[in-house]
Amino acid sequence: MIISAYQTHIFILIFIYIILAVSLNLALGYTGLLNLGHVAFFGIGAYTSALLAIEGLPYIAAVIIAGLFASVFGYLLVKATDKLKGDYMAMATLGFSFVVYSLLLNLRDITRGAMGIPGIPKPSILGLTIRTNDQYLIFVMAVCAISVFIMYRMVNSPFGKLLEANRDNAVNLRVLGKNTFALKYKAMMTSAFFAGVSGSLYAHYITFIDPTSFYIAELILILTIVIVGGLASIKGSIVATIVIIYVPEMLKMLELPASVLGPVRQALYAMILIAILMIRPRGIFGKVDLE
Amino acid sequence: MKNEIKTSLGGKTIALLAQSIINGLITGSIYALVASGYSLIYSTNNFMHFAHGISVVAAGYMVYWLFSLVGIPFYVTCIITVILSAIFGLAMYRLIYLPLQKKGASNVILLIASIGILTFFQNVIQIAFGSGVKLVGYIEVSKGITFAGVTMTLLQIVILIISLIIFILLYQFMQKTKTGRNMRAVSNNSELASIVGINHIRISDISFLIGSALAGVAGILVALEQNLSPFMGTNLMIKGFTGAVIGGINYVPGSIVGSFLLGMAENLGILVLPSGYKDAIAFSMLFLFLLFKPNGILGKKEGRFDK
Repeated sequence: MIISAYQTHIFILIFIYIILAVSLNLALGYTGLLNLGHVAFFGIGAYTSALLAIEGLPYIAAVIIAGLFASVFGYLLVKATDKLKGDYMAMATLGFSFVVYSLLLNLRDITRGAMGIPGIPKPSILGLTIRTNDQYLIFVMAVCAISVFIMYRMVNSPFGKLLEANRDNAVNLRVLGKNTFALKYKAMMTSAFFAGVSGSLYAHYITFIDPTSFYIAELILILTIVIVGGLASIKGSIVATIVIIYVPEMLKMLELPASVLGPVRQALYAMILIAILMIRPRGIFGKVDLE
Repeated sequence: MKNEIKTSLGGKTIALLAQSIINGLITGSIYALVASGYSLIYSTNNFMHFAHGISVVAAGYMVYWLFSLVGIPFYVTCIITVILSAIFGLAMYRLIYLPLQKKGASNVILLIASIGILTFFQNVIQIAFGSGVKLVGYIEVSKGITFAGVTMTLLQIVILIISLIIFILLYQFMQKTKTGRNMRAVSNNSELASIVGINHIRISDISFLIGSALAGVAGILVALEQNLSPFMGTNLMIKGFTGAVIGGINYVPGSIVGSFLLGMAENLGILVLPSGYKDAIAFSMLFLFLLFKPNGILGKKEGRFDK
């Protein structure tokens, strides 16, 4: 292979997080839905897909059901929080991710709680089983390309313009006779679907998941990516994912002890997030402010 | 649910319920200390200072560091901790929130920044002290006093009394002093308050100082009662926040009542559910209150809905 095993690993993560970040941007940036519960969709997708695959379901079915199941929760979340304003919507969606986290931790009969789910099978598509990481890289690249393409077409369509109109002035849009609730839940369901798909890709790549993978640390990471890249910019989210996943890898050069490497990386993400909010809240390619 | 308990436990039911309520009061008093500071800051600033949880944990570790490692006498440690907590809170306001507000940042940006601050310091604490749990152990925990079938440790009684004293002092301060009245004025109508000459930034400074000092007290009590771990701040913050939301986030006495209710709901809930569900009970209550009663049971009826 041209690239090292370690770089393959980083690239796989980058493609998984591109799907996750672009899908969050669809809700947060394009539609103006202040969703801080995106990690919950990621987690729901990961658990659904892992459990179904362990039960023997074909991978294709598992990943699609994972996405659909996440999007059902997306619908319910919009339905429930529709009337809440700004920071209350943000808190309620954050609360939603806490509820999902504690359910993953406590529904031990299904999720095995804090012990997590080991031995998640590698995907097998149309009789071809993905065995090596190089093969997995090609697979996630393809899924990422398709997912981003669909979302890109969506935001650049007349429907996408309506989403942005809803973000900028929902009242005017209602005056024009548009059903803004329908816009919001369609956007959130699409966003949740792709978050679920990326959760599935994550679970079947790492082959082990536990509830801590879908909590505040992860939320900070994807918020940092989306805000650094800029709201309502797919290009921004893609560039930012590469930068944000890659930069902390340079910490390895400092030869820090393994026990502090994780916290140093987390602290760095949080610092980048605060810094970008203070210095350039629109991010690199952002078009709008977070209201 | 009550019938289930009765059939399975028979005559011990009353004692068990009483014990759960007492346990709920003790848990609730810690939540209430977190919640009161949080909602004091919320009521005067109108944004969610989620990083309040880190003030509590930082105070706990400060006690561990000064008392258990350096060996400074306990009461001196407590005073230093409360003062440093207050300064820490003020620094967060002056160095992060105020500059953001001056740039016209929305409340959502401030909320995201505060989650960032919380995460940042949790990790800094882990880097400094390691991920293992830390014990302060100043007051013996094991000795219990049993009265009418209900057992309480000396430490729990101390926690309950200290928090009650602090709530009375806080209430007196808010009602009787000029600063306290100004704070309530800002919380009621900040525009009107600034017209009559109340300096909003000064009130914000004071609310961060007092609110974070309360977090410092909570941190000391947490350090005495529980094992310290770097990431306990998130959970404590959610609990304090839930208590505040239940009672009324913009009304300090409401958030105190709400926190005691939350403590009792958790402890009564695990009579019928496995004990792991404690957090799930709290998180679900938070979510349901935010959706259906965002002003809480005692909070002021302000527009929390977007209409």
